[in-house]
Amino acid sequence: MEYAIETFSLTKVFADWWGRNRVIAVDDLNLQVRTNEVFGLLGPNGSGKTTTIKMLLGLLHPTRGKSLLLSGDSTDPQVSRRIGFLPEESYLYRYLTARETLHFYGHLFKLPHKVIKMRTEALLDMVGLKAVANRHVGTFSKGMARRIGLAQALINDPDLLILDEPTTGLDPIGTRQIKDLIIELARRGKTILLCSHLLADVEDVCNRIAILYGGKIQAEGAVSDLLRHSDKTEIITSKLAPATIEKIQRIFNDERIEFDISTPMTKLETFFINIVNTAQQQSMPTSGAVSKTQISDFLTGLPDEQTSRKALLDQLVSAAPSEKHADAGTHQVQPQLVSAAPADKDLLRRLTEQAASSAEPKPVVKQPGQVKPAPEQVNKDILDELSGRKSKKSSDNQPGDSNA
Amino acid sequence: MRSIWAVALNTVRQAVRLKIVAVFIILMLVLLPVMGLRMTGDGTLKGREQAFVSYALSLTALLLALLTIFTAAYTLTNDVKDKQVYTVLTKPVRRFQFVLGKLLGIITLDAGLLALFSACIYGIIVFLPQFIKADDAQITQLRNEFFTARASLAPLRPDITADVNAAYEKLKNAGEVPPGVDQSPVARHNYMAEIARRIELRERAAAVGEELLWEFNNVRPADPNQNLFVRFKYDVALNPDDLQVYSKWLAGDDRQLQLGGIISTPLYQMERKDLIRTTHEFEVPADAVAKDGYLALRFFNDTLNNTVIIFPLEDGMELLYKADTFTANFLRSVLLIFIRLVFLAALAVFAGSFLSFPVAILFCLAVFTMANMSGFIAESFGEDVVGGEVGKAYYYFLKPLVTLVPQFDKFNASDFLVPARLMSWSLLAKLGFSTLCLKALPLALLSMIIFTYREIAKVIV
Repeated sequence: MEYAIETFSLTKVFADWWGRNRVIAVDDLNLQVRTNEVFGLLGPNGSGKTTTIKMLLGLLHPTRGKSLLLSGDSTDPQVSRRIGFLPEESYLYRYLTARETLHFYGHLFKLPHKVIKMRTEALLDMVGLKAVANRHVGTFSKGMARRIGLAQALINDPDLLILDEPTTGLDPIGTRQIKDLIIELARRGKTILLCSHLLADVEDVCNRIAILYGGKIQAEGAVSDLLRHSDKTEIITSKLAPATIEKIQRIFNDERIEFDISTPMTKLETFFINIVNTAQQQSMPTSGAVSKTQISDFLTGLPDEQTSRKALLDQLVSAAPSEKHADAGTHQVQPQLVSAAPADKDLLRRLTEQAASSAEPKPVVKQPGQVKPAPEQVNKDILDELSGRKSKKSSDNQPGDSNA
Repeated sequence: MRSIWAVALNTVRQAVRLKIVAVFIILMLVLLPVMGLRMTGDGTLKGREQAFVSYALSLTALLLALLTIFTAAYTLTNDVKDKQVYTVLTKPVRRFQFVLGKLLGIITLDAGLLALFSACIYGIIVFLPQFIKADDAQITQLRNEFFTARASLAPLRPDITADVNAAYEKLKNAGEVPPGVDQSPVARHNYMAEIARRIELRERAAAVGEELLWEFNNVRPADPNQNLFVRFKYDVALNPDDLQVYSKWLAGDDRQLQLGGIISTPLYQMERKDLIRTTHEFEVPADAVAKDGYLALRFFNDTLNNTVIIFPLEDGMELLYKADTFTANFLRSVLLIFIRLVFLAALAVFAGSFLSFPVAILFCLAVFTMANMSGFIAESFGEDVVGGEVGKAYYYFLKPLVTLVPQFDKFNASDFLVPARLMSWSLLAKLGFSTLCLKALPLALLSMIIFTYREIAKVIV
């Protein structure tokens, strides 16, 4: 099987100039990302995600081991012309306008002028920056910079897209758009390596994930496999009346079946925190932050400590949250208390309703093929142009891009 | 190549958009005309022009050198520090292409700015005589001694090695050689040099009623109708009352007289009275030069004087003749500045390829200062001067270091334009070769190699 990304015992050891303070950032990493898959690289801060990506792209030299991108060396122009990369922050030339930025990157790919022009306009349109195309990037907000960063990663219609924290700094709508875009790109045969610690993002779009801690893979596999409890059955229904619940409880009690009735919650979060907790309990070395301080107690604290927790939150966040928000925040981080999802979804709905007309948030689907993003979120014609596929209507009069 | 140009263009944009260049342009466009109008030199029209060209070109060269160092060091270090390289180097751009693009961008910027400023300077120089009231004599002087490019020839120097050795033997036999001279080669070398200097000065001195012969070879004036200029300076053993000395001169191919044959080229004779210790010039028609490029000057210390007359070793006697136009000379002088800017760009890019911005700037300024003080360093620390351990330290450490750096102070653009001396294409080519091929090119290659193999990303854990 051909892999889009393959690493062999990739290791990175950092030391200071005198060779002291040795830190193993990435430890004997063997990673395989298949072609045409959305692969999520997860991990807490300092777990080696970004270091891995930097090694993949040749920005850091591995201490040991080796990596192959698209079966070649990433510093080889023949390989790098097929790769798109969005770093963890949009490192852009502040003095260039959005349009000049995309032209500059287009020229680095030696694309024909006509193609550069066409793709620049299409990308600006897609990321919603057409109106500010002549403004200097230095004046952009973080979200806008993120969007232009994404646009530069797509300028060459890459076969392999490496996205480091693509949704940081983006509002929920922007996040949604990027997720839809990733799914759509995957549907068009692209391979995407997504590096994030925003678990919801990863869960929504990834086929497979690997969780890094201390530079080692702690768990790897298909999202559906990793999250499925094969010894349990989950029945999800519309909201039941107390009488009905009592009836069901009676049936289960008669059958002597252990059960738990609750509202569904985000499961990856539990899984992720468990993985990290397990690793910490085993005293695995990590160069990143170790959550053992007051904050972590605050996160995993018991319900009777809620008052003090709220006081801390009030200190951290200037605006006092509504009762509902505070509850949501508390429950989200407690794997045992399972009642957070409704509040969370409400928030998302309210946010999306503000900007987009669609009242219902799209169901989150893990199979890319089934996703039908709304037309106002991802302009499909533009995507067609960008990924080299022409719609039937415009195939005759589309200039330039000929790799359809 | 296209990606290199894309990087180069981006570098120019960076310098322009960050308003560094705008500040320089405004500063220069204000300063140059003000300098043109305010500088008076020695009061004559020629003096004004000389002062202006000297200060304006030096200022341009200095400011552009600083601009080059700052922008070149900034552009590379900043791209690494602000991590724009992450997005650029993960594109199909080889790292050496990125460095080359940066270098090319800075050179392009330099070329544009230098062209702009030197065009301004040239315009002011050419139009200045029209704004200033000056009599015809001053205009003629300006034409002959400023708006021209004159080649300079030193007279032939007799081989005095045998004389030096003989003098040394004589001193040694007389027991007058100081003890310690024969102990170390350095001391002996210095002692011999002193003897040679004395003998040479004796050769350039004429007692009252005596004659001195100056011979020149390879005199090839561009135009046979032009005059040659003899530039000389007197030193005296005893100051005359009015500080003036009388002299008789004969110029031409004096071999004709010795052989007693036919006189084919004319000989010119003149009598002069000149101030001592001041540089003077007189003209000799170019037809006095023999066909093989030989010209002799006979100087006669007039019996009206009462002192020995000495022509100083450094600037006592030289022959000048028009060899090219002022415009061509100006162009070559500007090219010399450009060559140095290219070196500085390569130096700053080299420093930026592995140092942080402040360290790179410090390094470049140190090298730049050294390049401008190479003569001073050699004079102050040379083994001839210091000797002993310090001399050794100079020989093994400072001297190789100075050799690695181009010697900016050795040839200065204004050193040529102020006395209207010819900067020949061959001299420019020689300087260009040593500065660009032997110094800038290795630096550029080294910076590409370093940048290719260094880790671009900072370790963040």
